[in-house]
Amino acid sequence: MNQKWVQLFIFLGPALLCVAVLRLWPAVLAIHESLMDPISGKYGLSNYLYILTDPEFIASLKVTLLFSIIVNPLQIAIALALALLTNAALPLIGLWRTLILLPVAIPQSVSAVVWGVGLRPDGPVNGLLNALGIASQPFVTSPDQALASIILIVSWVGVGYWMTFLVAGLQDIPQALYDAIEIDGANAWQKFRYVTLPQLRRPLTFVLVANTVANFLVFAPVQILTKGGPQDSTNLIMEEIYTQAFSFGDPSSAYASTVILMILVIAIVGLQFKLMQKGGVR
Amino acid sequence: MLIFSPKGIGAILSVAVAALTQPCAAQEQAKTTVTFLTAERPDTFAPAIAQFERQHKNIHIEYQQVPFDNLSAQVAARIGSGDKDLDLYAVDVPRVTELASKSYLAPLEDERAKLENIAGDKAIQAVSYQGKIYAYPLWTSTQIMYFNRDLLNAAHIPFPSADPARRLTWQQLVGQAQQAQQAGAPWGFSFEQVDRYYQLLSLYISYGAGSGLKGNDALTADLTSGGWQQVSDWYRSLYIKHIAPRGVTPEQTPDLFGDGKVAFFVGGPWNIGRFNKVASLHYGVAPMPYFAGGSPSTPTDSWAVGINPHSAHAREAKLFAEFISIDPEGSYSTVINNPLPPVNNVAFKRYIGNLSTMDSKIGPISSIVSYELAHTAVSRPCTKGYVIFETIIDRAFSDIRNGADSKQTLERAQLRLNRSFARIK
Repeated sequence: MNQKWVQLFIFLGPALLCVAVLRLWPAVLAIHESLMDPISGKYGLSNYLYILTDPEFIASLKVTLLFSIIVNPLQIAIALALALLTNAALPLIGLWRTLILLPVAIPQSVSAVVWGVGLRPDGPVNGLLNALGIASQPFVTSPDQALASIILIVSWVGVGYWMTFLVAGLQDIPQALYDAIEIDGANAWQKFRYVTLPQLRRPLTFVLVANTVANFLVFAPVQILTKGGPQDSTNLIMEEIYTQAFSFGDPSSAYASTVILMILVIAIVGLQFKLMQKGGVR
Repeated sequence: MLIFSPKGIGAILSVAVAALTQPCAAQEQAKTTVTFLTAERPDTFAPAIAQFERQHKNIHIEYQQVPFDNLSAQVAARIGSGDKDLDLYAVDVPRVTELASKSYLAPLEDERAKLENIAGDKAIQAVSYQGKIYAYPLWTSTQIMYFNRDLLNAAHIPFPSADPARRLTWQQLVGQAQQAQQAGAPWGFSFEQVDRYYQLLSLYISYGAGSGLKGNDALTADLTSGGWQQVSDWYRSLYIKHIAPRGVTPEQTPDLFGDGKVAFFVGGPWNIGRFNKVASLHYGVAPMPYFAGGSPSTPTDSWAVGINPHSAHAREAKLFAEFISIDPEGSYSTVINNPLPPVNNVAFKRYIGNLSTMDSKIGPISSIVSYELAHTAVSRPCTKGYVIFETIIDRAFSDIRNGADSKQTLERAQLRLNRSFARIK
C-alpha cells in the first residue's frame, strides 16, 4: 500500500505542485488581497462594495456575459461544422485542415493588429464590401459593431483550434455504429443526431468548457483595438481588471474583480458539466 | 549507445569546446548589464548606447521597448512587485508626480547642481515632486502644422504663413481642409496623436476652457463646462464631416500624411526625418492653429528617465542617465534619429542649428519650434492621478471621435474620474 502511495506521489506530485503553486496560491492570494481595505488595511468587504456599485464594472460584467452567450455557441457550431466537413472524404483534405488551423499559429495580438488595419473604415474589408456594392461599415469604431468585430477576430483564431479536438473525436467513432443505423434506414440528419452527436459528447464537453474559460479571458484584441470602447461596448472583464490594476493603480479593486470573475467562471463551468452529464456520460 | 555514435562524439566535442571557451563567456558576464525600458524605437537610443558602451566597456545597456500605451502598466507591474532587474526607464514628465508619490522613482536630489547647469528652471520643475528631483530630463516637445503643397496647389489654397503672429485659426483650417478635399485630397486634416490628451489639451487651453482638472492637488475633474463641451463638439465634427479619418491609431497617422493622403497634419517635429524620405512628398511647415478669440497654445513636455528604487545597478544606471541627459554629446546623440528638442542647453543649440538646415526646403522650422517653446507651450497638469486622468480622458476623446454625444461622454468621464480619484486622495 505504501509503495502505491509513493508511486502516486512520484507521478502526480509534479503536476499537483504546479497546480498548487501556479493556480491555487495566486487564487488564495487574490481572495486575501481582495478582502484588504486599501486605506485602513483591515479585513472587510469594502473592495467588493466599491466595484459592485461601480457602473463601469457592472457594465463590463454585462458585456462579458453578452459576449460569452454569443461567442461560445457560435465558435462551437462553426468548429463542429468544419470538423464534419474536414472529416468527410474531400480532395486535398490535409490542405483544408491546415488552412483552417493556420490562424492558431498566429498570436492573438498579431491577428488583432492585422484585423485592426483590415477593419479600418478605409481598410481592405470595406474595399471588398464596396466592390460587392455594400456600403462601408464602421466596425470597431461603432458601439453597435465593435463587439461583433472582436467576436469575429477571436473566432478566426479559435474555431480552427477547437475543430482539431472535434476531428479527433469524430475519428474515434466506430464505423460499425454508422453501418448499423444505415441498415435501419437512417438519413444523414438521423446519423448525425443519433450517432455523431452522442458519440462526440466527451470532446464536446471539453471544447465547451475550455472555450468558455478561454473566452472569459479574452484580452489582447480588446486592449489593442478598442481599449474597451467605443462607449464601453467592448469593455470585457479582463480589460476592466487590467485598467483597474495598471492604469488606475488600484490593485485592491482588481483583486476583488478577479475573485468575482473566478466565481462566475466556476459557476458557469459547473453548470455546463451538469448539463452535459445529463445525457449519461460520466 | 548514443554516446559512442558519431552524434554522441559530436556532442562530447561541443561540450569540450564550450568548456574551453568558458573563460571568454565569463569575461562577457563580468560586464554589468543595465536594463533600460522605454517606448521609443530602438534606433532612437542606438547612437547614445553605442557611444556610452565605447566609453564604459564594463557596462552593457539592455534595451527593452514596449508600446507607449503599455509603458505605465509595465512600470507598475515590475517596480510595484520589487523587480531589481529593471534599472532605468522612460518617464513621461506629467507622470513624475504620480510615480514619485508611489516610490517608483529613486530621488535624485544629489544631481541638482549638475542638472541646473544644463537645463532651465521649468524643465527641472517638471521632473520634481515636492521640491525634489526624481528624473533626468531628456527632451521637450512641440507640435507644428505640416501641409501638403501639391494638395493645396490643386485646390488653389495659399500656403499658410510661417509667421506665428499670422497663424491660421482652427475655423479657417476646417474651411481650407474641406476645400482641399473637394479638389481631390482623401482627407483634409489629421492630428498625429488622435485621442491623446497630450495633443488635444492645447485645443481646450486655446479656447480658454481649462485643463479639465481643478483643485490644489488637481484631483477634481472639470470636464462639464461649456468650453469643454464646445471644443469636444468641434473635435467630433471633424470626424462626423469626414474631414479627418476614424479608426486610425496615432502610430498610423504619420503614414497617411507621408503617403500624400492628408492636406493638413498637426504633428511633432520627429516626423521630419520620415517625411524627408518620401521623394514624392512636397510639404511645408507652419505654426499650429488656434481658436479665433482665444490664445495660441501648443503641446509640450516629453520624456525624462528615472531610476528604479530597487535597481541592483543604480550606480551604472545613473552613469548612463547622466550621459544622455547631462553630457551634451550624449544628449545630442539621442536626437540624431529622433528630432525632438533636447532639454540640455548645449545640445539644444546644436539641434536648432541642425534643424535650420531644413528651413529652405520646408519653411522656417527652427524659428517656429523656438517660438512655440518659448511662448505658447502649455504643460499638462501634475497630479497623483495623472494616469487615471489620461486613461479616462483619452477614452472619452476616442468615443467622441467615433461619434458619441460630447456632453454625455464628458459627464460620464467626470463621474468615473471623481470616483477613481476618491480612492487615491
